[in-house]
Amino acid sequence: MTTHFISAEVDLHDTAEELHSAIETELQKHGEPLRWAVTDVDVDRQKAVVEGYVLVESSPVAA
Amino acid sequence: MNSPPLTVVLIVPTGVGASIGGFAGDALPVARAIAQVSDTLITHPNVLNGAQLYWPIPNALYVEGYALDKFAAGCWGLQPVHQNRIGLIVDCAIEPELQLRHLQAVDAARATLGLNVSDCILTDRPLEVELRISESGASWGTIGNPDSLLRAAEKLIRQAKVEAIAVVARFPDDEGSIALENYRRGKGVDPLAGAEAVISHLIVRTFKIPCAHAPALSALPLDPQLSPRSAAEEIGYTFLPCVLAGLSKAPQFVGPESALGSQLSITADRVDAVVIPATACGGSAILSLSGRSSVQIIAVGDNKTQMQVPPEKLGIKALQVNSYLEAIGVLVALRAGITPTSLGADISSLRCLSESTKQI
Repeated sequence: MTTHFISAEVDLHDTAEELHSAIETELQKHGEPLRWAVTDVDVDRQKAVVEGYVLVESSPVAA
Repeated sequence: MNSPPLTVVLIVPTGVGASIGGFAGDALPVARAIAQVSDTLITHPNVLNGAQLYWPIPNALYVEGYALDKFAAGCWGLQPVHQNRIGLIVDCAIEPELQLRHLQAVDAARATLGLNVSDCILTDRPLEVELRISESGASWGTIGNPDSLLRAAEKLIRQAKVEAIAVVARFPDDEGSIALENYRRGKGVDPLAGAEAVISHLIVRTFKIPCAHAPALSALPLDPQLSPRSAAEEIGYTFLPCVLAGLSKAPQFVGPESALGSQLSITADRVDAVVIPATACGGSAILSLSGRSSVQIIAVGDNKTQMQVPPEKLGIKALQVNSYLEAIGVLVALRAGITPTSLGADISSLRCLSESTKQI
């Protein structure tokens, strides 16, 4: 298992809940989201900048 | 007259340079004050941990950040406990003398506070913590051997039956760096906080058990210019006492169905208000809770952060206040059933949903 830092842009949505789902979907492309936050918003481009960590499972845990 | 209990969530995001709460447990006075006007305060280790210093708040729930996100999303409930049996994970990269300092801190917590810390375990590999600052200015980090951390946690849970886990990892000594100098002067971002969150999130996510972390560091030379906000981390050899005190009574995490079956359990639908720095409204918990119409979001302007995410940019309806003193006033009004805006000089006109107002 490894942890990775991800920075991504996500389209703004009508509601915060929809944005939450869109962020999780975007981060899931890279692994399992562990911690994330919107760190900036570009209102003109309607984009949220997201930084977060994802978990990537590798080989089974070795003893 | 019986009123429903007032449940308040206080969030000061970790590692984003919050001017109040971004240092050594320096949002603890805010938590103590909010707890006075709440029936239940739900907050997280970054708010309550002051290294050697902590303050038992009987109606506060100490909830690790990953669990707070799950709670806010409605996935987990919080089950209060009398006491947790705590296990300690010690990073094998910690030098023997520093390890002994931490084990003596545990003994002190057992003998002087009566905490139930039953077992400890050394990781089978160094955790290899690395620290970074992201483009936004938030601190983050990675651990090189997360599997070793999880193996240690699994052994404590399976063999020792612990109910909460404290982790002490060797963090890089950053003496002489600008980030550390700023931090000691009460400025900038806590360079350790982001990596600490990864460690505790990993264990909470994997085992659904309360967890908190204390970094192991070499003692720093005395600094006469040390900020009061950072001073709690320089009065002893370890940051562990606050973690053990917090975990001792941290609520257990239960599924939403189990929570519904218990009168003592708290779920997200019980939350009445969330208090958050006004520029840091982009976290998972706040996005989840903002979708509940019964939750009053209170955004505090003078707790500055490195983030640039005020509520309005995300379409979050929030009551903006200048200070935590003002936020506490809002909570008092909510508790009393008074619309907070009615306490100001200007009261807006009644909104009319009819297409014509001729009859009104």
